[in-house]
Amino acid sequence: MVNTDETLDCKGLSCPMPIIKLAKTMKKMPSGKVLEMLGTDPGSKEDVPKWCKKTGNEFIEAVEESGVYKFYIRKK
Amino acid sequence: MAEKAEQAETTEQGWQVEGAGPDTETIAPNSQPEKKAEFAENVEEAKPAKIAEETPDAEETPEEPPEPGIFDGLYSTLFGRSWEMWVGCIILSVLSIGLFLIASPWGSSGGILNWGQNLFDAAGITSGAKPLLESTYGMLSILMLIGALGSALLAKEFAIRVPPKGEMAKGLLGGILMGIGAIIGMGCTIGNFYSGWAALSGGALVFVVGLFVGVFIAVKYLLWEMENHPGLSSGNTKTLLAAKTDQTSLQPLAGVAVLGIGAAVAMLYNGGIASEKILIGFTLIGLMIGVVLQRSRFCIVRTLRETFLTGDSEPTAGLIAGILVGMFGFTIIKIMGIGGEMVMVQGNFWVPAIVGGIIFGLGMTIAGGCTVGSTWRAGEGHVKLWFALIGLITFLPLTAEYIKPAFMDMLPAAMKQKIFLPDTFGYTGSICLMLLILLLWYIFAKWNEETGKLTAL
Repeated sequence: MVNTDETLDCKGLSCPMPIIKLAKTMKKMPSGKVLEMLGTDPGSKEDVPKWCKKTGNEFIEAVEESGVYKFYIRKK
Repeated sequence: MAEKAEQAETTEQGWQVEGAGPDTETIAPNSQPEKKAEFAENVEEAKPAKIAEETPDAEETPEEPPEPGIFDGLYSTLFGRSWEMWVGCIILSVLSIGLFLIASPWGSSGGILNWGQNLFDAAGITSGAKPLLESTYGMLSILMLIGALGSALLAKEFAIRVPPKGEMAKGLLGGILMGIGAIIGMGCTIGNFYSGWAALSGGALVFVVGLFVGVFIAVKYLLWEMENHPGLSSGNTKTLLAAKTDQTSLQPLAGVAVLGIGAAVAMLYNGGIASEKILIGFTLIGLMIGVVLQRSRFCIVRTLRETFLTGDSEPTAGLIAGILVGMFGFTIIKIMGIGGEMVMVQGNFWVPAIVGGIIFGLGMTIAGGCTVGSTWRAGEGHVKLWFALIGLITFLPLTAEYIKPAFMDMLPAAMKQKIFLPDTFGYTGSICLMLLILLLWYIFAKWNEETGKLTAL
């Protein structure tokens, strides 16, 4: 399991709200901290790793639990 | 004798198990254990697959993974992960060429307009709507929705996702704006862009300029909302009927059933309801389009919006690939005289196209899906897009009935021309012009992705 510093709940939201929220939250986080992001939009499965790659943040892993996708991202 | 009997039994068993093959052809691997278990019960060789579902034998499962069926690879290719946008776009264009060969190319708002007109007729507010069963596009939209639902179920991606209240309001508002924009502009992102560009329509080119303006304003709004009214997109949410990850999900099986019902509807439609028998192909293609839309998460909003958000150029490249395929197919159909030259060319050059484009662009960005994007996402269970559809169903007919006639009367003829590019540039010149526009767009998207000049995130 990944130790997380903060959680961002994007459940129920659809594209593009999760990514906008993610970008906003990550902006405020200190470097090296880990964010846990929860979402239910299947589009996020591709979008979140892609966004991390683009922005240079570390995408740690994704876990799926009964319709809820959990993404773990370390701020660069 | 006993030996023989035993042999017979095994052959029978073998046959039965083999026979299960074709049955499970389109069924996801997850549903296979159940199917096998059923057979196994009959031949008293029960594997604990079915029991495992009820009494959690979770520790045993990893030790004894189910044999990979011959369709496992196919399933994971088709439903294991999303398809690239360009794959979806190319398939959609091929299907749209099929639609054009049968009747006319892919469109989306016309179908939802027909749903709405029928509802208003039923409520006694208007009259004279084409009955749904006689409307090719009305049926097409229904089958797209069924296809997307079936596909989402098969991929175990279906769930009813209830967003915060503010999001539902944005869905509705977005749908209303799209309804107004699609009628004023005489088409949506499909008829007036994806198909319209492929059909070499001048108005469609202008419509996309309007779209860009609308999308730009709406993106600014979304970013402002996030800073100043974060409450609109937070609050109570619910996720219902999601596929459970820790046990065999019935979703894929339900998906097969839904697609089967969709195909049956298309076949029955042929069996007397449709006036033209050929329309069976039209409706079946609609079902396939629904599947491809959901698998590739086809999104025109994303193509335009990401210009101002992340700069991701992949959706743009995908869309360009699709338009190229469609353009060559449509042009051949038109030159050969198989389909009408002016199909998908509207009298919207340039004022209706630009005004409609701006309004539609605003709406689709706020809703998070254009007409067709709202349709397939509604099938996947996003309640926000259900509200977008409600907005579309009500405001497409209302705008057509009460706003468009007055608006069009106001415009001088020079502002509402029907421009078919080959009339001015010839077919060769028009194709070259389109290739140049698509190439420049691609270069622009790549440049923007690299430099981040216009991006916010």
